[in-house]
Amino acid sequence: MSARPHRIPQSPGSLIVLAALFLYPVSPSLTHAAGPSGDIVRVGVLAPLSGPYAAGGTSFVQAATLAAEQANAEGGVLGRRVAVVVADTQGRVDVAKSEALRLISREKVAAIVGAYLSEETVGVMEVASAHRTVLIVPVAATAEITDRVRDEGDRYRYVFRIGYSIPQWAELVAAFLADRSVRRYAFVGAGIRWNRELGENLERIAAQAGIVPAYTAYYSPGNPAFDPVAVGVAGSEPDLVVLGDPGRSSVSFLKRLREVAPGLPAFSIGGALGDARLAAAIPLSGPVYVQAAAWRGASPAATEYVERYERRYGAPPVGYSDTLPYDAVTVLVAAWRKAGSLDAAAVASALEKGAFQGVSGTYRFDAAHQARWGTGDLRGTVVRWERDGARIVFPPR
Amino acid sequence: MSPLPQVLLDGLFAGGAYALMAAGMALILGVVKVINLSHGAFFTLGAYVAYALSARGIGSPALAAPLAAAIAFAFGVFLGKSFVNPVRSHPFALPVGTLACALLFEQAAQLVWGPHPLVVDGGVPWVGPLGVAVRRWGVTAFLGSAALLGGLKILLSCRSGLPLKLVAEDEEIAGSVGMDVEAIRYLTFGGACAMAAAAGALLAPAGAITPTMGRVPLVLSLIVVIVAGMDSVGGILLLSVGLGVLGNACAYYLSPQWSYVGLLCGVTVLLSARPAGIVAMAGRQD
Repeated sequence: MSARPHRIPQSPGSLIVLAALFLYPVSPSLTHAAGPSGDIVRVGVLAPLSGPYAAGGTSFVQAATLAAEQANAEGGVLGRRVAVVVADTQGRVDVAKSEALRLISREKVAAIVGAYLSEETVGVMEVASAHRTVLIVPVAATAEITDRVRDEGDRYRYVFRIGYSIPQWAELVAAFLADRSVRRYAFVGAGIRWNRELGENLERIAAQAGIVPAYTAYYSPGNPAFDPVAVGVAGSEPDLVVLGDPGRSSVSFLKRLREVAPGLPAFSIGGALGDARLAAAIPLSGPVYVQAAAWRGASPAATEYVERYERRYGAPPVGYSDTLPYDAVTVLVAAWRKAGSLDAAAVASALEKGAFQGVSGTYRFDAAHQARWGTGDLRGTVVRWERDGARIVFPPR
Repeated sequence: MSPLPQVLLDGLFAGGAYALMAAGMALILGVVKVINLSHGAFFTLGAYVAYALSARGIGSPALAAPLAAAIAFAFGVFLGKSFVNPVRSHPFALPVGTLACALLFEQAAQLVWGPHPLVVDGGVPWVGPLGVAVRRWGVTAFLGSAALLGGLKILLSCRSGLPLKLVAEDEEIAGSVGMDVEAIRYLTFGGACAMAAAAGALLAPAGAITPTMGRVPLVLSLIVVIVAGMDSVGGILLLSVGLGVLGNACAYYLSPQWSYVGLLCGVTVLLSARPAGIVAMAGRQD
């Protein structure tokens, strides 16, 4: 073995690369619309801005920022401007918890909106509750979040969920399947906890309407093996396939599925397949449906929001990972105004008792601090992609 | 119709994709003797080049592959010359450094193209005998990997490939006979990066293009190269196809999550029997 002396790299290129590597981790949190600290109310926004969930996290932050800008355009909160302080969770529980702690202790945020993944959010709940800070959960869907609030109300008094819980989500999907006269469906998702929860809840709820699964598969994120799953779906001859993964894998899987079952209707629970930038290249040899919290044309508020988002960011929202965070900040601001204070107890009390208008509908919270999806005008929507855009097909008008 | 022919054909194509990704990795491990954790980033770069051309009306991955390879070669040579060569004697610095490069690339790709998935149209598959769908990207992957690995085999067996073989065997002897070992290393590194990018361009229509899409191919290509050994390009192709068929069969007949488990179990068994790689034991016991 040759014994080469160890030496420090001296070429300019290596120094540039090394400097970049050392500088890379030093990424400060981003503060939008910041001003003098006495004149602003800070909202902490926890979302993954790097790693595999960066797409959803970026939409999340964009929408939260838009909501803060809208709140400021309407006069702010208690005479103060609203500033969004963004922290990157990287999709990791440990980072989400440490960033939540930093937002509370160093950035002095009045409330937190986030996180993105269920696992992250369960971790952040502990931090927020320990520091008596209001936490609004926009997209994390696991039942554990609201179960904890119900079982330990005092401890988790400041945690509220805007987005649909998994049982509510399953009910929304089952209602759509019934509307389409589906009798047998295939469910395909990622082999992660909340996807399995959704598949199990859907099976239980859909059975009440006589709708049964013909095929269920959860692929491994390490080696998704889309092709055999697509063959399995096609072989089971369902009326429709439910794509339970809101991430990019749903796009890859749909492409593979279309190669073996071109005409099979596909229903995405939302996320990546709601992106209009993908629509032009999505294989539409069969119907492609996407669930969303709100969509252009669903209501005047939804249309106004979509147009504002499009003007601000150059592309329309996907209707899920952006719309729900927008509503989370909107509801939080309304609760501050209603409470007339930033005090966590007063805000929690206002949230428990009030009704709050968002672009998806009117939010009211149950005893577990879960928004009552499926009631009133808070029902979500389903669109079908066409070559020239998406058309709302559910709820029926 | 029995799904077996479709499962087997898809396994063959998946194996072709593994081999395509592993070809460059084998070159780096064999000649430069470093673990390059930025290999997946070059794969991603190739896919984005294919997307960029597709968005301008040039939809053929076969046209995108040479351009992607040229760009990746330039980046690879720069990285090899400025970073890999100077620090390669530090056993832990290289993997950490190349991993950091991969993360930097992911961030850069996110800034340039955004974090949202992008897609390249893969075209309608051909319908073969028994109604089997012949995926176009799969044919491309299989033929592409066969061509790349075949080219590599020819290169290593002819006179012009002698410097590569000599550097792989003994750098000191190569240096003593007047070869510019440093240049051979960074050019090889650049060539391997070009192969990864070509693979990314050819496989771009297979799925969604995102900044982190290179992570799974990186792991799979490492597995293939370590198990097959770096000496036999034919072994890489055969093992890739075997793992592709095994993974697909496990996914279909057991459960999709068993595809990864089955693949890793097969790898573990092979490595237990042949720690130096399945080909190394057959021909060489040193």
